[in-house]
Amino acid sequence: MTAAARVEGAVKEYGAGETRVRALDGVSVEFAEAGFTAVMGPSGSGKSTLMHCAAGLDTLSGGRAWLGETELSGLGDRELTLLRRERIGFVFQAFNLLPTLTVRENITLPLDLGGAAPDREWLDALIDVVGLGDRLHHRPSQLSGGQQQRVAVARALAGRPQVVFADEPTGNLDSRSGGEVLGLLRSAVDTMRQSVVMVTHDPAAAGYADTVLFLADGRLVDTMERPTADRVLDRMKALDGRRGKAVAR
Amino acid sequence: MSASVRIGARSLLAHRRRLLGTVLSIVLGVAFLTGTMVLGDTLRANFDTLFADANAGTDAVVRSAQVLDVPNVPGGVRAPLEESLTARLRTAPGVGAAEPSVQGAGQLIGADGEPVGGQGPPTLAGNWIDDPKLNPYRLAEGRAPAAPGEAVINRGAAKAGGLKVGDSTVLRTPDPVRITVVGIATFGADADGMGPSTFTALTLADAQAHLTPKGTGQVSTVRLRSDRLSQRQLVEQIKPLLPDGVEALTGADATAQSTADVSGRFLGLFTTLLLVFAGVALLVATFTIHNTFAIVTAQRTRENALLRALGAGRRQVLGTTLGEALAIGVLASALGLLGGFGVAAGLKALFAAIGFTLPTGGTVVHAATILLPLLTGTLVAAGSALAPALRAARTAPLAALRDTAVDDSARGRSALVRKAVGAVLTAAGLPAVVVGAAHGPSLTLTVGGALALLAGTVVLGPVAAALAVRVLGAPLPRLRGTTGALARRNAARNPKRTAATATALMVGVAVVTLFTVFGASVKATLDDTVSRTFAGDLAVTAPATGAGGSGVSPKLAPAVAALPEVRTAVGLGRGVARIDGRGTQLGVADPVELARVTDLGRIDGSLAALGTDGLAVSRAEAGAHGWRLGSTVAVRFTDTAGTFTVRALYQGGGVAGDYLISREAWRPHRVQDADTLVAVALEPGVTVQQGKAAIGRLAEEYGGPQVQTRAEYAESSASGVDMMLSVVYALLALAVLIALLGIANTLTLAVHERTRELGLLRAVGQSRAQLRAMVRWESVLVAAFGTAGGLALGALLGWALTRASDTAGTGSFALPAGRLAVVALVGLAAGALAGLRPAARAARLDVLRAVASD
Repeated sequence: MTAAARVEGAVKEYGAGETRVRALDGVSVEFAEAGFTAVMGPSGSGKSTLMHCAAGLDTLSGGRAWLGETELSGLGDRELTLLRRERIGFVFQAFNLLPTLTVRENITLPLDLGGAAPDREWLDALIDVVGLGDRLHHRPSQLSGGQQQRVAVARALAGRPQVVFADEPTGNLDSRSGGEVLGLLRSAVDTMRQSVVMVTHDPAAAGYADTVLFLADGRLVDTMERPTADRVLDRMKALDGRRGKAVAR
Repeated sequence: MSASVRIGARSLLAHRRRLLGTVLSIVLGVAFLTGTMVLGDTLRANFDTLFADANAGTDAVVRSAQVLDVPNVPGGVRAPLEESLTARLRTAPGVGAAEPSVQGAGQLIGADGEPVGGQGPPTLAGNWIDDPKLNPYRLAEGRAPAAPGEAVINRGAAKAGGLKVGDSTVLRTPDPVRITVVGIATFGADADGMGPSTFTALTLADAQAHLTPKGTGQVSTVRLRSDRLSQRQLVEQIKPLLPDGVEALTGADATAQSTADVSGRFLGLFTTLLLVFAGVALLVATFTIHNTFAIVTAQRTRENALLRALGAGRRQVLGTTLGEALAIGVLASALGLLGGFGVAAGLKALFAAIGFTLPTGGTVVHAATILLPLLTGTLVAAGSALAPALRAARTAPLAALRDTAVDDSARGRSALVRKAVGAVLTAAGLPAVVVGAAHGPSLTLTVGGALALLAGTVVLGPVAAALAVRVLGAPLPRLRGTTGALARRNAARNPKRTAATATALMVGVAVVTLFTVFGASVKATLDDTVSRTFAGDLAVTAPATGAGGSGVSPKLAPAVAALPEVRTAVGLGRGVARIDGRGTQLGVADPVELARVTDLGRIDGSLAALGTDGLAVSRAEAGAHGWRLGSTVAVRFTDTAGTFTVRALYQGGGVAGDYLISREAWRPHRVQDADTLVAVALEPGVTVQQGKAAIGRLAEEYGGPQVQTRAEYAESSASGVDMMLSVVYALLALAVLIALLGIANTLTLAVHERTRELGLLRAVGQSRAQLRAMVRWESVLVAAFGTAGGLALGALLGWALTRASDTAGTGSFALPAGRLAVVALVGLAAGALAGLRPAARAARLDVLRAVASD
């Protein structure tokens, strides 16, 4: 299996001098093609930073990152912009949608930005899958939180990107709405062979993934294939315990 | 529709309330600009039509080629012609008719004894021309003047003066001429007059007697027409018949020249002045618009970041914001263009209201008048939004995940640059202003310094804002408790925004203050000049502004002098001549007598020795030309040139002006004799009241000019300044209004931005009234900062302008404390007013929604 995206020896530092923080401390991971990868870890573990750097939103202080065969370091703002527009889909925790655009316009936004004509059949199929056919001309403020996140997922998938990066997509949702959003991501992987990378701290969410990567203190500390929510929870507890012991020692 | 355009359009629609202030400020600025230009176009066309109508049937005009360009006289002063020329021209082949024309100034007195008109438009008198094609006036009632003392007046003057056919009244030429109205005329077919001017037509003999120097045998021009020759052919035909120093020009050329004279002088100055105020309004609008866009983009940081994360290029984000500004600019400019026609009418009414009537006629609009304001408004909008748009385009995609950016204008590297640039500009500007004003004086250096100082103030604004708000708001917490403390902190929390908001008001207040100080200083100078140099007890004048009025009869002074109550009475006339190549006005008087009622300061040489070829010159003027006692000076009058000798030097800068010649020297060259002032000294023991009453009775016989005490005379000399100041205030009100819109707008945006915070305050127990008061006090604080800055800057620049324009070094400087206090109060009150709507909006917040809003 080839990698949809990967990082090698990724280092990310913020600040300078005494206030310097090392958010990523030499992480090397591959995100599988047509796979659903969850990145887990406690707050401050560097999981969001890893995603931002892998997605070209932020730049690494050291190491290298690739999207498919394209190396990200050394790309200018223009190239990174095009890369995000054409080859990456995003779902953020909140504030995913432009409040002034309708649901349909939000979904086609990345395509519109590139001036590309949307593939109607694909779009209709997507809208069908996310189940918002009757809300296409509503404004985001007229939707519930779960509906808004489903629109964000549809938008991320609309351009058939190489990778969809989702940053805590269910962080603001109740479990039923969250389940719907995760189900959508799961089916995108299964039926559309979409690669998905998701940052989360919710073991239940991670249970939807094929692979779970565990980060702590900016390092990759563990991986788990075919996870379930329970096994992830156990592993998290173990990690927390180990961390607790490390601090105690 | 591209994504950028759609996002821009949607955002415009969604935020239309927030952008209302921006739209309004552009609408107002553009409307003013358009109004000014429409008024200029219209007036120019109206004057053109007037002069064309006046020359409608005239194919050629013969006049003296001797002309003196004199300041304030459009077209200059021309020598008269011999009447006998008319007869010679009349018999020339091809000439259909030739009529003598006498033109001069004549102030008509109305039925109520008051002068008719005289505030701006000319008050004309002349002869009634019998040939109906050469006479632009038509009899509407009565008949033409046939006997001495008969007159035709234009219908407008008849209406204004309440005069009818058969009435008898006085025409001041300025000798009072008893006339009987025998006819009332229209200008052309149906106009009340030649614009708002008044015209009194006498018989040719009467006109010559009262309006020409010799009193007989002279005419101003000869008007000709031909039935078979073209205008140009006619001019060629008569040219050989003309003596030396007499010229002929076609009717069309005469019209063009008259229009150019008025357009070039009066209209040019008039429209430039208005354009300056339109510029000030637009400058203030620039600050307001910039601020609105800066806030709106800051509030939209997350949206822009999301767009960037989703793959929007910098140029797309830039395009979206700029596109919005462009759309607003075009829309608001178009609205402003429409409003401009209303403004043009309003400006005309404003000038009419202060007694300065302008000609009437249809509105005229040139293509440039449409294009320029449209373009300016759009550019102002787009230009003001450029910096915020560039900042928006630089938004990092990751900002979508963070909270809204904080204002770091008072810290960091950009703040250092800001402080450095501001300090350099201020440090360069301040000394330039002071040096330019005090030494030299150099207007260029002062203006350059003033601009640098203004720029420096704007750049330093944010640095000063935090401090200023803290200082100005210091009493607030004690006065208004927590509400006051919160208002003070809110005003100081975003120094850049507070500064930008206040700057708009600051510019407006600075210009108001500048004119107030300058006006007060000019008044003080005039006042001082009169009280310093006018040594008499009473003054007789016929006040008039612009081209109106005709002065005081020269026969009045001797008559007054003969009164038993009067010790000395001296008439001061005005002559015109070209001295050392430049057209100038001369004081004409008996110099020895004049020295008794005016203070001419130390006199070198002898005033008694002027004779018919001597000049008395002010010391400053003599110094400028390098003359000493005994120097010879070439003086050219309308008719002849001569050599004069400087026989006396006096301290200038007073009522006497810079040049004095004797009545004997002026008499051969005079045009239409008039005194501007009769200065009177009373016999000892005669009270001012007694003297005033005696002279008043006598003056009645001379057309009733005003008799004033010294104080009244000083006051009325400066009354023109007050009139100009009221116009300036009215024009600047617009700039201040735009600035206040800016404050209201910023506050509305801030209230929107602080929804959660305000909700929290309400949740923990702040009352609606307290919330309203908090927002209002913030508004007052911002206004106080702008007003204080404006007052300081305006007072400094007012001082500089007063000093820099005072080349003679004799002017006074006055800081009118009362008026400036009013300006300060108006600024603060306006601030409170601007805060009303945002405060009401904030108070309407639903506590729950405010706390829950995202």
